[in-house]
Amino acid sequence: MKIYTGSGDRGKTSLLSGERVSKADLRVEAYGDVDELNSILGGVVAALPPTEAELAKEIQKIQSVLLHIGACLAVTPGSPVSEELEEITKEHSKALEGAIDRIDGSLPPLKEFILPGGHISAAWAHLARAVCRRAERHVVNLSAIQTGTVGSEQLRHVIVYLNRLSDYLFVLARLCNKIQGLSDTMWKR
Amino acid sequence: MRPPTIKDHDVRLYSTEVLERVWLTDRVFEIRLSKPSTFKFMAGQRIRLLHRAIRRDYSLITAPSDPTLALCLKKIESGEYSPILASAKPGTQLSFTGPLGYFTYRPSGRPTVFVATGTGIAPFLSMVRTGITGFTLLHGVHRATNLYYRDIFSRAARLYIPCLAAEAEETEDRESVFRGRVSHYLAEHLPSGNYDFYVCGRQEMIRDVTLMVDARFPSSLLYTEVFY
Repeated sequence: MKIYTGSGDRGKTSLLSGERVSKADLRVEAYGDVDELNSILGGVVAALPPTEAELAKEIQKIQSVLLHIGACLAVTPGSPVSEELEEITKEHSKALEGAIDRIDGSLPPLKEFILPGGHISAAWAHLARAVCRRAERHVVNLSAIQTGTVGSEQLRHVIVYLNRLSDYLFVLARLCNKIQGLSDTMWKR
Repeated sequence: MRPPTIKDHDVRLYSTEVLERVWLTDRVFEIRLSKPSTFKFMAGQRIRLLHRAIRRDYSLITAPSDPTLALCLKKIESGEYSPILASAKPGTQLSFTGPLGYFTYRPSGRPTVFVATGTGIAPFLSMVRTGITGFTLLHGVHRATNLYYRDIFSRAARLYIPCLAAEAEETEDRESVFRGRVSHYLAEHLPSGNYDFYVCGRQEMIRDVTLMVDARFPSSLLYTEVFY
């Protein structure tokens, strides 16, 4: 099976809702960021020790939600395709909040800024956090141009989810260092 | 009550049984399978047949309301799965997962153009069996004998254009057949406008059609399903 088709060689791609758009389209930027974020999370999972199967499962569940978010971003508002997709709801964000509270409660309190890094799994998690923020910025841009239209509520839930996910990835990075017996490196001004 | 959508039907593992096989040409056949009582799908979707480590996706050609399932496929001598199905006896047990895919018909105010090559006609057959009419259909084939569902589509389509490979032998009804590829028909004969294109077939054809849509019908919608 060939992976390439060549139909995108002239800088256009197809949205799930059927439109042919520029690969520089804001919608493509947004789901591209989500894809990048998802790939980096794959790096985090790959760098976890085998003893952390439960944590790996939690991250993979997030990866699955990100695929749904990518599909949601690849559909223009009002398209009948949006009816066919899994909805992102506040329950998705609530699940993240529960995980953040659980992880944060297991970490020493933080009084200073920390430098992204430490163990490779933590470094991946910090990178994921930064890409998640970029994805969030692009989705905010997207929502600004479709305010009041069909689908804007769905984007609102996506923005909340990405905002919460960034926070999750911050505590996850710290947890990754803790799992490896490493301390976070404090910022020395 | 809203009509069902893809997300209403869970993807699960099912068991089925071969009921019947009908050869449409020397290489293309329909295989009819029993329909598990809980299996539901949307016209245009696929099932994934499983046999040991082999997995192959095939579009269903029956309507969701039909009492059985059926597939249309070409026997590829060097293929892994089609020779098995080409010789499977009635009563053979098979497993599949599904329903899969998003290649379903979405009505809009724009004219609909279905484009298929070879057995890529399969999902459109399922759609037509749910009562969809009024579309334009381009069906690209190498030989006139491969226009196996001509009668069904002639009745349902507003315009049915068999596209016969330029090198194919002459047919009796040369008036109703376009000699050339489906992408050539789109380039030379489909009037400019905004359409909903549904395209199913090999990826080379999908690439050619996509580039043609970009060039001649840039504000159209394009839904694709690749057959490998």
